[in-house]
Amino acid sequence: EGAGPSGGGGGAANCEQLLPLSCCPPAARAGKARAAEGAGAGGGAPRGRRGVDRRCVPPRLLAELRDALDACAERQRQLERSLRVSRRLLRVWYADPGHPPSSLRPHSEPRAGRPRPLPSCRSSVTRLSLQAPRLGSAPNPGGPWGLLGPPGRAAAALCLRREPAETPALEPTPGPDTNEEARPPARTPSPQDLKELELLTQALEKAVRVRKGLSKAGGRDEAPSRKSRSIVSPATTASVPPRASGQAGRRASETKPPRGVRQTTVPAKGLPELRLLSVGDQTCKARGAQAAKPEPGLRDQQMAPSAAPQAPEAFTLKQKGILLRLPMAFRKAASQNSRLWAQLSSTETGDSMDATTTAKTQFLRKMQSGWPSSRLCAAEVEAEVGRLRKACSLLRQRMGEELTADPVDWMQEYHCLLTLEGLQAIAGQCLHRLQELRAAVMEHQLAPWPEGRLPSAPSSCGGGADSIWSPQLLLYSSTQELQTLASLRLRVAMLDEQIHLEKVLMAELLPLVSTQEPLGPPWLALCRAVHSLLCEGDLKAARVTLKLF
Amino acid sequence: MGRRRRRVDPADAAGALPAAITALSRALPGGPSAETFRRAKFDRPEAAPALWRLLFHVLSPRPADDAAALPTPGSAPPTHARPSALSPASSKAQARLVKSALRSQGYPRRALVQLPEDGSQGSRELLLALSWLLARGPLLERLLAQIRVRLGDEMPVCECEVLASPGPPAPRVEADGCVDIRHLQWLMGKLRFGWRNLITSQQEHCALLGKVHSYTRGCHSDRSLGHLSVTEAELLRDPEGGRQLLRRLESENARLEAALEWRRRELVFWQWMDTVLDACPPEASQPTFLPRIPERGAGELELVARELQALQEELQAVVETRRAAWEARVGGWGPGWKATQRASEEAVRQELTALQRAWERGGGLAQPHGPHRLVRSEAGTLGGPGLRATEVIKALRSREACLEAALRQLQGQCRQELARLVGALPGFIWILPPGC
Repeated sequence: EGAGPSGGGGGAANCEQLLPLSCCPPAARAGKARAAEGAGAGGGAPRGRRGVDRRCVPPRLLAELRDALDACAERQRQLERSLRVSRRLLRVWYADPGHPPSSLRPHSEPRAGRPRPLPSCRSSVTRLSLQAPRLGSAPNPGGPWGLLGPPGRAAAALCLRREPAETPALEPTPGPDTNEEARPPARTPSPQDLKELELLTQALEKAVRVRKGLSKAGGRDEAPSRKSRSIVSPATTASVPPRASGQAGRRASETKPPRGVRQTTVPAKGLPELRLLSVGDQTCKARGAQAAKPEPGLRDQQMAPSAAPQAPEAFTLKQKGILLRLPMAFRKAASQNSRLWAQLSSTETGDSMDATTTAKTQFLRKMQSGWPSSRLCAAEVEAEVGRLRKACSLLRQRMGEELTADPVDWMQEYHCLLTLEGLQAIAGQCLHRLQELRAAVMEHQLAPWPEGRLPSAPSSCGGGADSIWSPQLLLYSSTQELQTLASLRLRVAMLDEQIHLEKVLMAELLPLVSTQEPLGPPWLALCRAVHSLLCEGDLKAARVTLKLF
Repeated sequence: MGRRRRRVDPADAAGALPAAITALSRALPGGPSAETFRRAKFDRPEAAPALWRLLFHVLSPRPADDAAALPTPGSAPPTHARPSALSPASSKAQARLVKSALRSQGYPRRALVQLPEDGSQGSRELLLALSWLLARGPLLERLLAQIRVRLGDEMPVCECEVLASPGPPAPRVEADGCVDIRHLQWLMGKLRFGWRNLITSQQEHCALLGKVHSYTRGCHSDRSLGHLSVTEAELLRDPEGGRQLLRRLESENARLEAALEWRRRELVFWQWMDTVLDACPPEASQPTFLPRIPERGAGELELVARELQALQEELQAVVETRRAAWEARVGGWGPGWKATQRASEEAVRQELTALQRAWERGGGLAQPHGPHRLVRSEAGTLGGPGLRATEVIKALRSREACLEAALRQLQGQCRQELARLVGALPGFIWILPPGC
């Protein structure tokens, strides 16, 4: 133990008993202590510790805190993993150069000036092939935006293709593809198509001009991207009519109106856009028999007719995300998966099930035979204790509500009184049950899971009893809402943990204070430390202002 | 549904049982081969290791296979967090864990406890144990759900997982038993800081998720979802990963089909298990439980008991005063009052019954539980099934308020207690820090 109160060393420690108990942040104090002690345990680092006696903090406390820290660190790790994935998704995607898709056709070139016959869509996987907006360089006439010049050129910057069904992957491929694959079995754009395209391209040019004027400090890359998007949408709309398919008579509009709707909601669509879309739609509608209906879920096919040099294909979710489509193989597997889960979680009734249940019960009975079944096993005891704990907190919550309620008339008052009495009765019942459990544990020496909680816990939560094992939906409407939800969840979890730790601390530390006899400075320091641990939990400190990233 | 042919003719029986066992072994994740099952009936030693492994996998808190789960926002880590601590467990440790877990679930047969722990014997007993677990609850479905391929971005809406204690304490070397209390303070501060970081990272994650969801609106073939999740977008970005995901999905589908097949055929399995049980030597002696000091379990029990006790006392105090006041007021009222009195009683009784259901067995259905797939939809567009975030937020807020009140109350209690302890000493003045 240190020398007298004024013994050298740790100024902080020695000042503590003299000054009023100011809110020296625990971290700061502890920081000094940490510096003094190194790892915090053992050793006799003299400085800073003289005044404080080394108490044997019960190992349970340490274990609990360390567990909490570990759990927190684990969550942080998982979050960071998710963050990495999401951040990567939102950056530019690059095609994997060393990985040529098996069905990549060699392209034949000419991209300039030829109206591309738009391919029919037949295969099952959509491949996305893009022209990168040339960032920082003026859109050249040959570039994607340049195709607006001569009319009749398919005004497309996007080319979405199909591959035969082998590869389930969708990848941005280098280079616009075109041609053989793209060429529809039998079709060249009719004059009518060309006329429509011309109309559209003119409107597009106008839109581009408008957009150019409008676009501000979004930066060079913003403007082209917006343009590209605006080009894409009407272009894709335009692509529908001339598309050939073997299936006549099916309306193309199924692809477009939802698209159209979506396009308008995508940020910053101007009026020209809307007009374009309506033009496009009308074109579609007019298309009657010609209408090319792609297979459901298939999207646009267009070539990138531009003569732009092969740009490294960059794709960003922000610009082109709406054009993604999941591969067919995956979709099939996913829908089969949900179908199977639905089947599995539905409980059939019928003779066969009854017979099975009977057989099972009989088997269980036979297993049990010869032993007095102590109905209570450790897992059940634990589960029930958990339920009673929940009961306690719900009862308390309800009590709080009743006590703070303000009855306006005697009816309500009476209601309140009855409720409180009822709560008391229920609390008594719970207590009684708990005592029964305690007796059972003692009597049967029911050993709980020696290393911690049993996985009986999951059964109480996971899906809540029988049915649904596949996830249900949680609908949110804005990022703000999602953030609120998530932070509230964390906050509730934190509070739960804080309360738990508080109880443990109380149970372990208060006795320390009361049993310390030498009421000298060390004891006071202990008091102070205990106070900071127990009473100064900063409830507000964890509140974080929601910041939109 | 037509009548199933349940009369098992001998010829058919020969085929039905193997089919059932095959289905089971295909459905169980890491399931042993059908041959193992057959050998186990005859207690062959070569079947034992596979069954030990299987039971270990089934009974250990979290299967070590977490390849299925993409990290999701806000989800708790696997509560018994350290698969690495468990999975390279030696066969001896595995065996011990299996025995212990089965025992605490109430496995009724003593023969299990007597099995040697080197994992070389006991296949028949293990087979019985497996069947026991299968018969008691939806074991198969639970296992499959645990390793389910998650295609969406999921967020749990309840805190059940969180409440579970952090699980087996990793073996820690306590340097020495004496640790300064300031180390505790340091740990607390570190914890708070960790939580703050968590919240910030969480916020960012949600923002990113929101972006991904909104940028891919309209892409999903399933209209009720409307947009891609991170997993799905990843699959598009990274074809190799996409292929792996697809493979996992397909193998899960195969398992699900096997599980459905098992469901159809399991009757014959149970009949067979009866014969296996009959083949066992009868258990003679009275079970004597090995005395063990229950540690954590009893601790929890005591804590809850104390809380309930405190709650009851509080209620008692409040009720006494109020009842006395009420009786004083109402004393002179006439009989017409009785009817309304009874009506109130009935109403209160119903309310309290509803309240009780919230914690009783199987009563948790009212509350939403488990992970939910996040779906972004502009307000009001999707009228379909699904939990609305606003509701969850409301529930969480009320829970938050309740917890804050509870914490404040506890802290107040501590303060009083400390003041009392210190104040009892002459010559000291206890000055509270500002703001407390």
